[in-house]
Amino acid sequence: MSLDALENYYDLDDIISTNEKIPCKIEIPIYRLGYLDSSSVNEHLTPGSKLEFPFWMARSLCSRKRHMVSVEMPKQYREAYREILTADASVVDLHKLGPYYFSFGIHMLKFELPESPDVAKILVKSFQQRFRKVMDSSQNCYNEDTSKLTDKLDESEILLFRAGQHGLNEFVRWETRQTEKLTTSEMVKNHRKRKRAIMEDIG
Amino acid sequence: MDPAEVEFIAEKELITIVPNFGLDKIYLISGDIGPFIAGMPIDVPLWMAINLKQRQKARIRPPEWLDVEKLREKKQEETDSKFFTEMPCKCYIEMTTLLLKHAVDDIPHADETRTLIKDIWDLRMAKLRSSIDTFVKSDATHAKLNHLTLMELNTVRPFLTKALDQLNVLRSNTGPGAQYTQD
Repeated sequence: MSLDALENYYDLDDIISTNEKIPCKIEIPIYRLGYLDSSSVNEHLTPGSKLEFPFWMARSLCSRKRHMVSVEMPKQYREAYREILTADASVVDLHKLGPYYFSFGIHMLKFELPESPDVAKILVKSFQQRFRKVMDSSQNCYNEDTSKLTDKLDESEILLFRAGQHGLNEFVRWETRQTEKLTTSEMVKNHRKRKRAIMEDIG
Repeated sequence: MDPAEVEFIAEKELITIVPNFGLDKIYLISGDIGPFIAGMPIDVPLWMAINLKQRQKARIRPPEWLDVEKLREKKQEETDSKFFTEMPCKCYIEMTTLLLKHAVDDIPHADETRTLIKDIWDLRMAKLRSSIDTFVKSDATHAKLNHLTLMELNTVRPFLTKALDQLNVLRSNTGPGAQYTQD
């Protein structure tokens, strides 16, 4: 997930990241949708009840023109978590706080909540703090299992990690003179395998 | 860019060979080369030198800087300096890798040379990484790095450009210029 792909309608990662849930408070009565709130037996949604909506839905329910719900900051962007990130962002498990921490955070800024400027600042600060770790780990492991290194990274950081690995791998391949060897293209290889499977089925 | 493409560019670098055959001047797009006279040193592009070497038509004379003593000094200089030092050749890593692969018998102390070049490379890459980190952590909008070589730049390029892209997106949300779109 690259952050600059934000708002790209067909970007799958963007779709997933806008699917994260946001706590919302209902502002006007909504009729016959009481079943959405499993904790109440009412037929209608009453003002004041709290629900979680995915971002894309909350976005259209809460804007300057239309104010059917009011949005709250999800807890992983609130004061307590911001303090943890300020203390030392490089040890925080961002994958656990939402695999799309950065992009979802940017999306959240659009609601213009009072804490938005702080969230925007903490996003930049955390990125800068964690950057060194992502860079060093991506440039220093060749031919190893990388899942341990990436399991605490946010999706956009994993993308960075992959880019770093790509640079390193290409260089090592060149240095060990593997680039000049001609290899069978993956497509041809798979095609042959498939053909063989078909032949064996017939036989 | 692919490292192979970087290598392709480096192969244009001139290097001295001593041919063991005679041939008239040859006319190439990049310029005329020759005439070749057996035993007379002549400057040719690296790709040609390697080709001739593979066919055992010439001996390669390693460039002046490819010398254990000089490389040791260079390594010391690189260790002492906070910044990047100027390399004797813009494509040192490509050249040594190619020469050590194809003309190892023409290079005295090949093993030590290999280690020294690798050490210098590692030193410079470590420096490059820490300067990238400093740059990202600071709020500077541009940085100037002198004497970087193409291969070094090429190894960090995919990573660095992506990182700066992301940082730019994150940063555009802060500060007075922040624009929130709201319908």
